[in-house]
Amino acid sequence: MDHQTGGSADDDRARKLRQKRIGDQLRRLYDEVTEESVPEEFLNLLEQADNSKNKQ
Amino acid sequence: MTQPTLDDEAFKAELAGLIPHLRAFARSLCGNATAADDLAQEAMLKAWKARASYQSGTNLKAWTFTILRNLFYSEKRRSWRRQQLDPEVAEATLIANDDPSSAMDLLALRTGLTFLPEDQREALILVGAGGLSYEETAEICGCAVGTIKSRVSRARKALAEIIDNTQGGFSGDGKLRASEAFDDIMKQADELSSGSTADATN
Repeated sequence: MDHQTGGSADDDRARKLRQKRIGDQLRRLYDEVTEESVPEEFLNLLEQADNSKNKQ
Repeated sequence: MTQPTLDDEAFKAELAGLIPHLRAFARSLCGNATAADDLAQEAMLKAWKARASYQSGTNLKAWTFTILRNLFYSEKRRSWRRQQLDPEVAEATLIANDDPSSAMDLLALRTGLTFLPEDQREALILVGAGGLSYEETAEICGCAVGTIKSRVSRARKALAEIIDNTQGGFSGDGKLRASEAFDDIMKQADELSSGSTADATN
């Protein structure tokens, strides 16, 4: 039935579109965190670790 | 200048530059942001201590992600283990930094992610959001490239189905209608978020 082939082509297109949306949203979820400013604590800890190395 | 090892200053600068990514990867593994930052900090310090074993020229991001992931899985009893996702907490986290409509889509996605098996979720996040190649992800997760490819593909499929099923309530029949509705919602979210970034700051 040609109805079936038309349907599956539509399905295919819809699926691809949906996957693209999911991909976009997934990246947004991740980028929301990478775009936050890094808490001072991180850099302080790194500096501390670097400084204590020099004392050893 | 015989060995191309990174000196400490350069290593520190590169590591500092990766902190946002360590935080994002940790956030995807942990149940909440505080636990995630704890994990990311420990991973950062562990990477710093292990800097002598890093081979310059290789991918530092993948190297630090491996450390973070090992830390996460080796200390199963630590507080940063993913707890059952509390939808209210997820909602609060998301609504805090996005407009409500887009936050709802992200919430659907985030909830969908929690239904995925752990190995599929991490593969999908590393490849689909973290910008790592299949090869790097395979190295991070300690398995074959083919395994990662199949995990990512199964995760994508499952996620689409989960989202379809949760949002298909108003069109009980026909997959096409459900996915169209989903696409419409996503499109609206895109338009809203691109149009309202200016006044989204409190």
